[in-house]
Amino acid sequence: MVKAAARETTATAPRGPAAAPVMRRLRRRFRGSGSGYVLVLPAMLAAIAFLYVPMALSAYWSFTDFNGLLPPRWVGLANYRELAADPLFLQAVRNTAVFVLLAQGIGPVLGLASAALLNNKLRFRGLFRTAYFIPVMTSLVVVATIWKMLLNSNGLVNVIFGYLHLPTTSWLSNPSTALPSVIAASVWQGFGFETVIFLAAMQAIPREYYEAAMVDGANAWGRFRHVTLPGLRRTIIFVYVIGIIQASQVFDQVFVMTQGGPIESTNTVVNELINRFNSLQLGQASAIAYLLAVVLAFVSFVQIRVFERRD
Amino acid sequence: MRQRRPVRLLLYAIAIVTSAIMIGPLYWMLATSFKPPGDVFASPPKWIPDPWTLANYHDVFTLLPFGRFFINSVIVTLSIVAVNILFDTAAAYAFAKLRFPGRDFLFFLLLITLMVPFQVNLIPLFRIMVALHHVSPYLGVNTYFGLIAPSAIQVFGIFLLRQYIRSIPDEILDSARVDGASEFKILRKIVFPLALPGIATLAIFTFLSAWNDFLWPLIVTQTDQMRTLPVGLALLARKQEINWGDTMAGTVITALPMIAVFLVLQRRFIEGLTSGAIR
Amino acid sequence: MDRRQFLRRSGAALAVSGASGLLAACGASSPTPAASSSGQNRTPVTITVWDYYGSSTPVKPALAGFKNRYPWITVNYQGLDWDTISTKFTVAVSSGSAPDMATLDMTWIPTYASTGLLMDLSKVSGGMLNGKPIRQQYSGGGLNAMTYQGHYVTMLFDEDCYALYYRRDLFEKKGISVPTNWSEMRAAAKALAQDTNGDGKADKYLMEIDPDTFHYASYLFQNGGAILDPANSKAVFNSPQGVQALEMYKGFLDDGTGIYWGPGQGDRIAGLNSGTVAMFEDGPYYMGIMKDGAPNLAGKWAIATAPYSRKPGSYLGGTGLSIPANAAHADAAWTLIQYLLEPRNSVGVATYSGAAPGLSAALQSPRVQKPDPYFGGQDTWKVWLPTMASATHYPYVRQWNNIDRAIADGVSAALLGKKTPQQALDDAAAQVDGRLR
Repeated sequence: MVKAAARETTATAPRGPAAAPVMRRLRRRFRGSGSGYVLVLPAMLAAIAFLYVPMALSAYWSFTDFNGLLPPRWVGLANYRELAADPLFLQAVRNTAVFVLLAQGIGPVLGLASAALLNNKLRFRGLFRTAYFIPVMTSLVVVATIWKMLLNSNGLVNVIFGYLHLPTTSWLSNPSTALPSVIAASVWQGFGFETVIFLAAMQAIPREYYEAAMVDGANAWGRFRHVTLPGLRRTIIFVYVIGIIQASQVFDQVFVMTQGGPIESTNTVVNELINRFNSLQLGQASAIAYLLAVVLAFVSFVQIRVFERRD
Repeated sequence: MRQRRPVRLLLYAIAIVTSAIMIGPLYWMLATSFKPPGDVFASPPKWIPDPWTLANYHDVFTLLPFGRFFINSVIVTLSIVAVNILFDTAAAYAFAKLRFPGRDFLFFLLLITLMVPFQVNLIPLFRIMVALHHVSPYLGVNTYFGLIAPSAIQVFGIFLLRQYIRSIPDEILDSARVDGASEFKILRKIVFPLALPGIATLAIFTFLSAWNDFLWPLIVTQTDQMRTLPVGLALLARKQEINWGDTMAGTVITALPMIAVFLVLQRRFIEGLTSGAIR
Repeated sequence: MDRRQFLRRSGAALAVSGASGLLAACGASSPTPAASSSGQNRTPVTITVWDYYGSSTPVKPALAGFKNRYPWITVNYQGLDWDTISTKFTVAVSSGSAPDMATLDMTWIPTYASTGLLMDLSKVSGGMLNGKPIRQQYSGGGLNAMTYQGHYVTMLFDEDCYALYYRRDLFEKKGISVPTNWSEMRAAAKALAQDTNGDGKADKYLMEIDPDTFHYASYLFQNGGAILDPANSKAVFNSPQGVQALEMYKGFLDDGTGIYWGPGQGDRIAGLNSGTVAMFEDGPYYMGIMKDGAPNLAGKWAIATAPYSRKPGSYLGGTGLSIPANAAHADAAWTLIQYLLEPRNSVGVATYSGAAPGLSAALQSPRVQKPDPYFGGQDTWKVWLPTMASATHYPYVRQWNNIDRAIADGVSAALLGKKTPQQALDDAAAQVDGRLR
């Protein structure tokens, strides 16, 4: 194919001695053109079929009343206006915000702390790291199912809490404790991811920095604050951007553990989207999806800008 | 920096307790899967099942179609991994080493899709699958195609592999070209072997996300014939009157393969994870 | 209708079945036999059936006999549970992967029918069920429940209404008489409840308190209240009668004699076996579940008419057999429905799942109405029949599923003490009014 391309270019290319460098440039420029297109074709086709076309359809449907049985009917901004005034949706937004704040407040901190712990050259460090990381390997459905059993009124959590004289309650039936319970299960599953990432990043910090800090008389906490944390800056940004995006899409655990209840206290944005999908309100479901996308894009953008500037 | 003895002991204690909190629930899942119904919430709790029974596993394979769920998960996951290895590497090579008009623009088009959350595509993808199903019973809703196709490429994978392939020296490729090799041959004989570590990492993470995928399989499968393990398990766990022994057996079957894969390929997992993140 | 109309209708039905038979035969190996005027098209066909009854289903045992009589119809039987069907049915129908027949909770019917998901059954039935008019085989209330905007959209298979299940052995032991009104019920609960672990709170032999619309509505109706106004245009359950009903129900929790049975509580059977629950209200189908799951409690329980304040009342629901609007094999599905609704098969509803058959002939069958050894030899149908007669079904509005959710949320909020009953019901009513607009 390369030869064919070369022959084509020679047909119209300048001839004579001056032709050689131009020829070389052209050949290099279009090196493997045909093959290039063929090789990216599957990926581009898949992207068009499963990413771009759906994105466009979703945008269109968000402005329609569509139940999947009859053709969509244009309603303009009605879906968005209804959502803005819908107490169920607003509650879902509130719950999702609480989830993101708490999960992303606690998770990375636990990850950081456990990484700092393991960074102390403990023996069996690999084993501990594996222990923290295994839940990350399991599906959120698995995690939700296990925790649903643990949080049952007669489950292990209440047994242990009772033994420790801590309050016991019906964790998933009580609107005050249901969302925190879902958050706890989610943090349990996820913080090992941060542990691994922070640990690797910590180990990349040069020893000299620590030694210099010790020479300056810094204690363990001081070293952590002035050497470790700054060294982890980029990693922390990365962890938060990814983390917030993922946390905002919380659904699997809610689907299994609480189905959005009790009294909508664990209903999340994606859960409400699926509810509307199931009740054949596809226009509203699409509008919810786009609101989510816009908010996520905005939040990521703000995060990156804010942290980049401080650099 | 070695701390004093008591401090180190404390650190070990914290590490052990916290590890126990992480592993404990998984052990409890395993233990419960062998308990008869009456013992699930026995008081005081039975840390070792006694008596123990295989009835729960028998149930999930006879009364419930977990055997089918397992087969579906295996077929779908392996297919997704295979397709991704093929298409992602091909595209990554083209974006990394080949030059053609519009290359960077096309790559940019792929990258921006990373910004869009999956839920935006969910419903249209479903409707597209519904339409495809009218074209052929092997396409669309409730088929393997429907489960596999949307995950056929991972843009993030293409992105990472492209970085990886870029580091392959041009001379090797050029000399192959001079010898008359086509780009496809180069891809097969040179790039694939050299990029193998990167491809292996892609394969592992694609396996992970495909095995544990929940939302799309939940939506696109309509019958137990086609459901995958996470979906089958979730529907089991949502019941009003739950048989916990059976449910835990199902949970073990869903979780164990992934944990096993992880334990065997731990090093590659961690390497793959951390090399991308610390940029 | 007169004979001419009947023949025209059945001729049309046969023509339809002939046409659908032709379509079905496109994949079959044998050519389509012409639709005969006396019988059905016998092209081999497979129908998919969704059933949420669970292990005590009356549908599955009937399939063997069905296959014998109609060997060309193969039934692809899918046992799903109530929750799965309620989330999956709409999407399945709208995406063209609908089953041919499904068991549906009667309270879902208005929403599904108004979205156009259910087939008008007169298309396949011509108004006839097993040779006699549908009209003659059900009670007025049953026919009402099966109708949406003048069409039959479902065939009532079992009826559900609530009565009081109570531990008769404990009542006798403690000398408690069976309550007939609300204050007696509260008093009985106080006499029953026991504190066995010495923490000052009763933890055994409690009244189960369920935070859902089924239970609350029953008390609402008993107190003379209603959910919506007669025009179905606004919520009226936050009337004084409604608030009283909710306050009464919450009263058990305030007295310390009730146990809030939310989703985290798990299995009621476990609660019955452990003695935590000694009184609860539920429908006839639960009799079958108790016999399966709590065999060692045989003889200890009995059933009584739900104690009421002003008049006997209960929610009325049940299960209907419906055919999705775009089902592929509607006629074969109707054949199955007719088979299941033959009186002797319909009796299976009672004998297998313990529920109350919707079909009048089945309900009155001596096989159903007999003393039940599990309940100490009581003829429980003497309780269920009058309860059904005085039960009220939910309003038939498109938005019912959302209204149900709002009411259930309000009831939960009040029972958990998050809002006062008046506040909770007022907030729920505002939400419901918003949906009805």
